[in-house]
Amino acid sequence: MSLKNVLENWSDYRKTHEQGGHHEYEHMWTLAIDLNKCTGCNACSVACYAENNLATVGKEKLHKGQGMHWLRMERYWDEPQMGGDDAEYHERGASFLPMMCQHCNAATCEPVCPVAATYHTPDGLNAQVYNRCIGSRYCSNNCPYRLRYFNFYSYYDTSWPEPLNQQLNPDISVRDKGVMEKCTFCVQRIRTGKDQAASEGRELRDGDVVTACAQSCPTQAIVFGDMLDEESEAAKLWAKQQVELGPYEQKKDKEGSELRGYRVLEALNTDPCVMYLDRVREA
Amino acid sequence: MSGNDINRRNFLKFMGLGGVGAATLTGCDMPTTVTIEEGKEKVVSYLAPEEYVIPGIGNWFASTCQQCPSGCGVHGRVREGRVLKLEGNPETLNGNGLCMMGQASLQTHYNPDRITQPMARKGGSLVPVSWDEAWKLLQENAGKVDAGRSAWFTGTVSGHQAVLLKALNKAWGSQDHYVYEAINNAVGEAVNEAVLGEAVPAYHLNKAKAILSFGADFLGTWVSPVHFAKQYAEFRTGDRGILMQVEPKMSLTGANADMWVAARPGTEGVVALGIANVLISKHQVSGSVLPQAALDVIAQYDVNKVTEVSGVSGDQLVRMANYLRGNSPSLVLSGESAHNHENGYQNAMAAMMLNILLGNVGKTIDGSNKLAVEELQAKTGSSAALLKFAEAVDAGKYDVVFFKGTNPLFTAPVAMDLAGKLAKVPFKVSLSMFLDDTTMQADLVLPLSSPYEEWNTSVAPYQPVEAAISMSQPLMNPLSSETRSFGDLLLGMLKHHGVDGYDFPSYYAYLQDAMDKLPASIKGSAVDFWADSVQKGYVKATAEGGSLTTKLGDLSQKAVDVGGDFPMHLVPSSNQTMWDGRNANLPWMQEQPDQISKVFWDSWAEIHPKTAAKLGVHEGDYIRIKSDQGSIDVKVYIYKGVHVDAVAVPMGRGHKEYGRYAKGNGVNPLSILSEVIEPTSGELATHGTRVSITKTGEHEELPRLGGSETQVGRRLVSTVSAEVFRRTEGA
Repeated sequence: MSLKNVLENWSDYRKTHEQGGHHEYEHMWTLAIDLNKCTGCNACSVACYAENNLATVGKEKLHKGQGMHWLRMERYWDEPQMGGDDAEYHERGASFLPMMCQHCNAATCEPVCPVAATYHTPDGLNAQVYNRCIGSRYCSNNCPYRLRYFNFYSYYDTSWPEPLNQQLNPDISVRDKGVMEKCTFCVQRIRTGKDQAASEGRELRDGDVVTACAQSCPTQAIVFGDMLDEESEAAKLWAKQQVELGPYEQKKDKEGSELRGYRVLEALNTDPCVMYLDRVREA
Repeated sequence: MSGNDINRRNFLKFMGLGGVGAATLTGCDMPTTVTIEEGKEKVVSYLAPEEYVIPGIGNWFASTCQQCPSGCGVHGRVREGRVLKLEGNPETLNGNGLCMMGQASLQTHYNPDRITQPMARKGGSLVPVSWDEAWKLLQENAGKVDAGRSAWFTGTVSGHQAVLLKALNKAWGSQDHYVYEAINNAVGEAVNEAVLGEAVPAYHLNKAKAILSFGADFLGTWVSPVHFAKQYAEFRTGDRGILMQVEPKMSLTGANADMWVAARPGTEGVVALGIANVLISKHQVSGSVLPQAALDVIAQYDVNKVTEVSGVSGDQLVRMANYLRGNSPSLVLSGESAHNHENGYQNAMAAMMLNILLGNVGKTIDGSNKLAVEELQAKTGSSAALLKFAEAVDAGKYDVVFFKGTNPLFTAPVAMDLAGKLAKVPFKVSLSMFLDDTTMQADLVLPLSSPYEEWNTSVAPYQPVEAAISMSQPLMNPLSSETRSFGDLLLGMLKHHGVDGYDFPSYYAYLQDAMDKLPASIKGSAVDFWADSVQKGYVKATAEGGSLTTKLGDLSQKAVDVGGDFPMHLVPSSNQTMWDGRNANLPWMQEQPDQISKVFWDSWAEIHPKTAAKLGVHEGDYIRIKSDQGSIDVKVYIYKGVHVDAVAVPMGRGHKEYGRYAKGNGVNPLSILSEVIEPTSGELATHGTRVSITKTGEHEELPRLGGSETQVGRRLVSTVSAEVFRRTEGA
């Protein structure tokens, strides 16, 4: 970032993150997750373990909160202030929330990293450079969603005894002790998709890249896609729900819209790239 | 070669010759990288791939998941000779999706605790032996048994494995093939058979506008969960159907219900009768489709009586009746918690009655497509098979028993004393991938290859859309050279037995031949039928779904026992995480928090806050659950998703064997089951055990994900009403 560059492109740098920041984004990868379809079955979570070389840490460490579940399925019971009235039994069942890195455009984890190991890519991804990470854990401390996972130990021997290690995905690394890790929106699949498109001499199309969670979902509740591609299914869902990247309060919500799209803890102004669609119940 | 003309190239050439020469002299059979022929060099690079292998590029091959009996089609990603990831095969029943068991089935394949050589019992313990010795032992002990003195005890078997198994049994002069699945739908199948004339009809969840399920966890463990999840997504879009779930302990399906209704265990049938009563008396639904005897029984169950028996309030009954009345066609299902009682058959019959009363048969329940080749159809499991087997073994009927794909010593109630009875079988053979509880008792252990290392055909037990044969092909070379596929072992036994017509070099060769002999109606017009089938991963065989009858049986309900010293009901619930215990050796599944309680790597008991208050226990406190067969101590999870009279302990953990991940983890609720039997179907009533619970005073924090049980008022998951949904997104 030379001074010359900054001066010449001043208008870019003056953009707030609400206007797309100083990036000229190539893609803006997003998820849309319909909680009306999500059954909380956990298939996405296990698919993530399989795709991303996530270590299993065992009962004690998992209980201490050292698990590596990049995508965890949260489950909440209704409470009176949320419209539930479960005096005797949970009559409206449970609320499930698949939580993965929200890839915030104003990510609170990024500016606190002392070595810039976490940064924003021109794909709109919140990336983690493993071999730059020094394990300060500031990012994890600063993530309001608690979606960053630290390798307190080296898990290679304990998590993948022979021949379990043969299942490891060679497209991505196995992280070692002292490194922070988190959901990457399956960056290795994005790269493969781009390479494939490039070798075929064409632009990336919707459907070229599907994250492991979205692919495995039995109800297709998770949709992955590029917001900058207006024809993508994900972009259409965001548009249909009138949820916009940028603001910390959606225009449609101010207008009292009944549309279901929302972003978790949006008011914190983290500008997450994951949109959820409300759970639905009959009464 | 003089010293003067040595240049770099010649130097290297010389070194290469010397190196290879030395290796050749010592007799090592090294791959030739440099030929010794004058003037020729041939360097074979590691980058020269085998067929289809491009380093760094994954290829996808079709196969079939065998982790549970549903038989979902998968595509396996293979890179550099290893299978890395599985995805659903979009053209099969499950579609794009795959459940967590399917994803984790890779860890069955790569499991560090797999058996890698044959083992035989010598001096009381299992020791490794060679295949020659294993075949010799098999020949000595099983080769000359008298007709009818041998039996097979397996999990669900289908396809050409079933054909070979039948042929083998015939050669042995035995008819006895017991098929056992601890998680089954056998009571439902018996009622379907009696009423509809078909044991496994097709359910169209996507065509229903309201679903009332009595304990059928169709998103979790009932029949074909991934397929049903796909239909469920359709059911919930557009006009959005209404889901009601009646059960004593919240299942995954219950957690997704619009209306989750806690019924006292075993009273599901009474609730169904109560709903019918409201429909007929309040909504003027014509009862003329039902026989008079049925109407007489329904008339006895007015709202007050149903509330008294089941604990379901009148308001809830009326609301459920209203939903069913206002949303036609509907679909009424029954499953595990309704079936596995002494009165399970009546419960299922009462649920089926609602389908007839509401006119659902022919709309949301249809004739299923059966594969035209009967011998390939799935032999589905029941626990009645376990009971019959135990009886036969106890009577000393068999000299040799073969086990495959099931672990009865873990899942059978201890009251049956199966271990003691099995001691009466002189020679037990287990064909297995793992040293599970049953295999550890075998006299001969034959190591099986994994489903992703072998050729196979299978036929899913549930074939609602199109009848199909699922193909399995090896997704990689076997991890161990000493394991054999089930098909190859069956073929080997047939050959050892001198049966004519099975002279094939391998099961692969047999399969190719057998597939080639399929009727033309199935083979279709593909140019190369075999290659086409393997590539697609299935053979679809158009079959006509039959039409269903509606012959309702007796609806009268048996009163649920008060329980005396054992006032509580034990609910040994099932979930996808552990299934019947077979997933306990998969670290991914142990690490995966339970869908409802969010507990991992351990067992827990679910009780209602009122029950907890009465006992004075808090989360993590140990309770002792005592039946007439023994007791287990287990930590409690307290929530409002279990009936006040019930204590639910999920099954699947508490293995005494089964590898490093399963062994010694948690407790097995099946170990304290009383031997209660559902008389009509002969099934084990696994939910029929009565228990007492007491506080032990011990405490250990429950290993559980998440700190907060509620959202504390934040919009993490917000909920809108279905009315709003239909207005904004309805069809």
